[in-house]
Amino acid sequence: MEHNEPILPDQERKGAGQDNSALETFYYDNKIVRDFGIATTVWGIVGMLIGLWAALQLVWPEFNLTQYFSFGRIRPVHTNAVIFAFVGNGIYMGVYYSLQRLLKAPMYSKLLSRIHFWGWQLIIVAAAITLPLGYTSSGEYAELEWPIDIAIAVVWIIFGINMFGTLIKRRENHLYVAIWFYIGTWVTVTVLHVIKNLEIPVSMWNSIPVFAGVQDALIQWWYGHNAVAFFLTTPYLGLMYYFLPKAANRPVYSYKLSIIHFWALIFIYIWAGPHHLLYTSLPDWAQSLGSVFSLMLIAPSWGGMLNGLLTLRGAWDRVRKDPILKFMVVALTAYGMATLEGPLLSIKSINAISHYTDWTVGHVHVGTLGWNGMLTFGILYWLWPRLYATKLHSVKLANTHFWLGTLGTLFYTIPLYWAGWTQSLMWKKFTADGFLAYGNFLETVTQILPMYMVRALGGTIYIVGVLIMAYNLYKTSRAGSLVSEVKAQAPARKAYVSHKGEHWHRWIERRPMQMLVASAVVVLIGGLVEIFPMLVIDNNVPKIASVQPYTPLELEGRDLYIKEGCVGCHSQMVRPFRSETERYGEFSKSGEFIYDRPFLWGSKRTGPDLHRVGGKYQHSWHYYHMENPETMSAGSIMPPYEHMLDNDLNTDYTAAKIKVLQMLNTPYPNGYADRAVADLKNQALKIANELREQGIEQEKLEDKEIVALIAYLQRLGTDIKPKAK
Amino acid sequence: MDINKKVIALVSCLGMAPALWAVEKTAQEAAWTWVVNNIVVVIGLGVILFAFYALWNTFEAIIYDKRRQVLAEQGIELKPKEYVQEDSVFKKMYDKAWSLVPIDKEGEIDLGHDYDGIRELDNRLPPWWVYTFYLTIVIGIGYLYVYHYSDIGLSQQEEYSEAMEEAKVQKLKFLFAQSNAVNETNVVALSDEKSLQEAHEIFSMKCASCHGKQGQGLKGLGPNFTDQYWKHGGGVKNIFSTIKYGVPEKGMIAWKSQMQASDMHKLASYILTLEGTNPPNPKEPEGDLWVPENNTDSEAN
Ligand code: HEM
Ligand code: HEM
Repeated sequence: MEHNEPILPDQERKGAGQDNSALETFYYDNKIVRDFGIATTVWGIVGMLIGLWAALQLVWPEFNLTQYFSFGRIRPVHTNAVIFAFVGNGIYMGVYYSLQRLLKAPMYSKLLSRIHFWGWQLIIVAAAITLPLGYTSSGEYAELEWPIDIAIAVVWIIFGINMFGTLIKRRENHLYVAIWFYIGTWVTVTVLHVIKNLEIPVSMWNSIPVFAGVQDALIQWWYGHNAVAFFLTTPYLGLMYYFLPKAANRPVYSYKLSIIHFWALIFIYIWAGPHHLLYTSLPDWAQSLGSVFSLMLIAPSWGGMLNGLLTLRGAWDRVRKDPILKFMVVALTAYGMATLEGPLLSIKSINAISHYTDWTVGHVHVGTLGWNGMLTFGILYWLWPRLYATKLHSVKLANTHFWLGTLGTLFYTIPLYWAGWTQSLMWKKFTADGFLAYGNFLETVTQILPMYMVRALGGTIYIVGVLIMAYNLYKTSRAGSLVSEVKAQAPARKAYVSHKGEHWHRWIERRPMQMLVASAVVVLIGGLVEIFPMLVIDNNVPKIASVQPYTPLELEGRDLYIKEGCVGCHSQMVRPFRSETERYGEFSKSGEFIYDRPFLWGSKRTGPDLHRVGGKYQHSWHYYHMENPETMSAGSIMPPYEHMLDNDLNTDYTAAKIKVLQMLNTPYPNGYADRAVADLKNQALKIANELREQGIEQEKLEDKEIVALIAYLQRLGTDIKPKAK
Repeated sequence: MDINKKVIALVSCLGMAPALWAVEKTAQEAAWTWVVNNIVVVIGLGVILFAFYALWNTFEAIIYDKRRQVLAEQGIELKPKEYVQEDSVFKKMYDKAWSLVPIDKEGEIDLGHDYDGIRELDNRLPPWWVYTFYLTIVIGIGYLYVYHYSDIGLSQQEEYSEAMEEAKVQKLKFLFAQSNAVNETNVVALSDEKSLQEAHEIFSMKCASCHGKQGQGLKGLGPNFTDQYWKHGGGVKNIFSTIKYGVPEKGMIAWKSQMQASDMHKLASYILTLEGTNPPNPKEPEGDLWVPENNTDSEAN
């Protein structure tokens, strides 16, 4: 036997301890897989179109249509739609298909499957309505307000019950590696979601987070990073472990590699969050842990890529012809690129360049377009003909899609790397005589607008590919008919007698509950070590005596800032770099944020930092600027906010907010809630009068939202500023 | 690479350490700071290169199998044994780094697992992967040591102070070289086309938001430059001074920390040229009438 024969699925070796006597008959539910598949495709298209819309807004501010669809509100709609609707449904589609087959058991409850499906779609619709309305709690990837958070928890737990019910009823003794990833994902996302969303409701659509400032920042990025890790990565690795060997018809390269990289990945991933907060006011020790554990992530991440690519050994001739395998190879390569780039971005000196720039956005989309997108498409092309018992309508179109997807990803990401580097260099450049070479922030933005145009082109190409796929899948479904139930047979699960020489890991593979507990423990270690000290050790956040709570008006202004999604483009974190203190002023101190619930440090500087904007301009400057940014900064791409000049400020919940903040130990005087609105009106009147002195004539100015926003902006960063002479 | 070679490599590396101490003290310090400051960058770049190399190799390993397979189909056999004999040291290291089991021997390492038809092989962990993992762990521990348990790595505050100190020195040097540059006592208006054009551009970018695109002034913001009234004195010297020191209580920025003297010089000269241009929507005059004839400054005009 000198050349390779692919080992076929059903060849020999049924053996070892299995007897073929009493076969049980059961039915796999394919309909639920199909439904999730359709949802994946539809939401994918919607989410990406919204991404494209956002991309166009960044070049042509005219695309900011009305207050509901301005960039700040559209951006979270995009991220939530693509992550939770596109990738989320993609996960469920793959899990519901593979889990049943890997366990030789139908899903535990068809009813729960249905509830899961419709519950999730309703959550998406709720998100699509509330985010444009400005109901947001602002933490990235956790923007949805508390009623939706609860719904997510409920639906996620229903999914868990359904999954573990199936695991318990399984006919297969051992759990395949894909299922380890599903279990690890489920338990970690549960923990992340609950802790990140600890908040106290103020009203139906407003809440105040339990953690403030630096602590909130740490928890946000512990959550945010692991949303990437345990929503975009581990479940997709699970899918890869099922669909790639199936599509290639090749054995998985290395069982040992699966074991090591699975445990290493989930253990190390959870520590890495602070790499989103390098050079911020987060204490150095936490930053260093983030960097170091990110570096250690290279190998565990690459373990997944290698195990996937090497599984294709001996099938490489088919990769050239089969678009499904091509999608998967590109997905794995993109995964490898993103997980190499990520650790590099976690190195302080590199993050000093990349943070706040489009480099991050480029990195994000290598991962999402390349890895999540391409793998999802590969799986859809593989599944659809099987669900409809027919052939794929057109392999040629699938190939076209493959090339459009690859090209689109390149056209999207390469210009953004260029833009990121260019802008970062411009921010940091000094003239020989010690001035910022580009003292005007806007100059550094207009410089990269051409790159943004190319990015929008890349997005368009990518979306055209997806549309072609949707057509192809639709035609495929029309050519066949849905096999909603698939008959299968297998013997019942017998008590397993372990045999000598068995790998030690087999033990836990027979015990889903122990697997659940073990992965929970492994995941909790890192989280606890980082978060716990931050919550209990006071000197992690040195107090500053002059830092005072926000006045009621400033508080309402801050909520408007959150509502409009200003944090999507403006950071509030001056890092200790000469180029930043020169441009913005004194670098930010952790003690300045103790009353910030939620924190608003931001992660992308499409506009300048605002932490020290207080007192920098006159009130009237802000008034005109918010009405139409172009009058104050010609060529600005910031959306206009005229509605803030017209809308009356809602003070119905001011007192309630103060009460909640008092519960959380914000030192307002006793009974202050009752006086809050009166105080608010006084301060508003004062600012309105100052605005009038500066020549602004508007009736009832003191009742308008703009006054609250100005109050907040003028307060920002002034607590530790030496008072003006 | 056999053990002997590893030992030799290690010993020669260690041997270089004393050589380092032999270097002159300052050069040594400079080199040391450079290494410390850039170590992460160096390692990072090394890792990138290595990773690209590894990725390339992954594909190559796959393609190599394929080639063997195709040749085999044509009856040409690449005997693994022959291969090893012909191979360079490098190739041997490479094979070792992967420790791939040839596809035709795959049956021997099939674990017998069968999950919905998916089988698993018992391939070793690729040794290079294992060592990369170890390396990152060692670097990680080293990193924590350098930044938290030794005096070598600087905290971000220290880094900042150092950068500011350095900038201060640079600036002093520059100011020293520039000590006889323009200031409000010696400034004379410029009139050359190029300076005025440059000034126009700076004006549009930095001043127009408060003073209007054509210097007509904006309500509630900055005053009109096209009339003959000045709140803080007309003429190039006063205007230069207002630009330089600002009127912070009224919202006019002190540009001295953001703009070079030469740019303020051009701007002051440019603003003088706006008088009498009569743009649309002028702001009403503010301040006092400035009559150049009564003033020594007029000579400059
Ligand atoms: C054609 C498709 C897409 C287009 C045109 C697009 C466009 C955009 C744009 C314009 C932004 C805002 C960047 C900024 O603030 O500067 C963004 C952010 C983001 N997108 Fe996309 N996107 C696309 C697909 C996707 C997909 C498929 C995913 C995930 C599965 C995704 C995930 C994200 C995330 C997580 C962010 C936030 C990045 C950050 O905070 O740094 N995008 N996208
Ligand atoms: C070993 C793996 C990875 C590490 C260590 C890593 C590290 C990083 C770092 C350092 C940042 C920039 C943080 C900042 O400066 O603000 C970042 C941002 C991001 N990465 Fe990764 N990355 C990895 C893999 C991935 C993958 C595979 C994906 C997607 C599938 C991804 C998605 C993202 C997203 C969405 C952000 C933007 C977060 C935000 O600012 O909103 N990452 N990552």
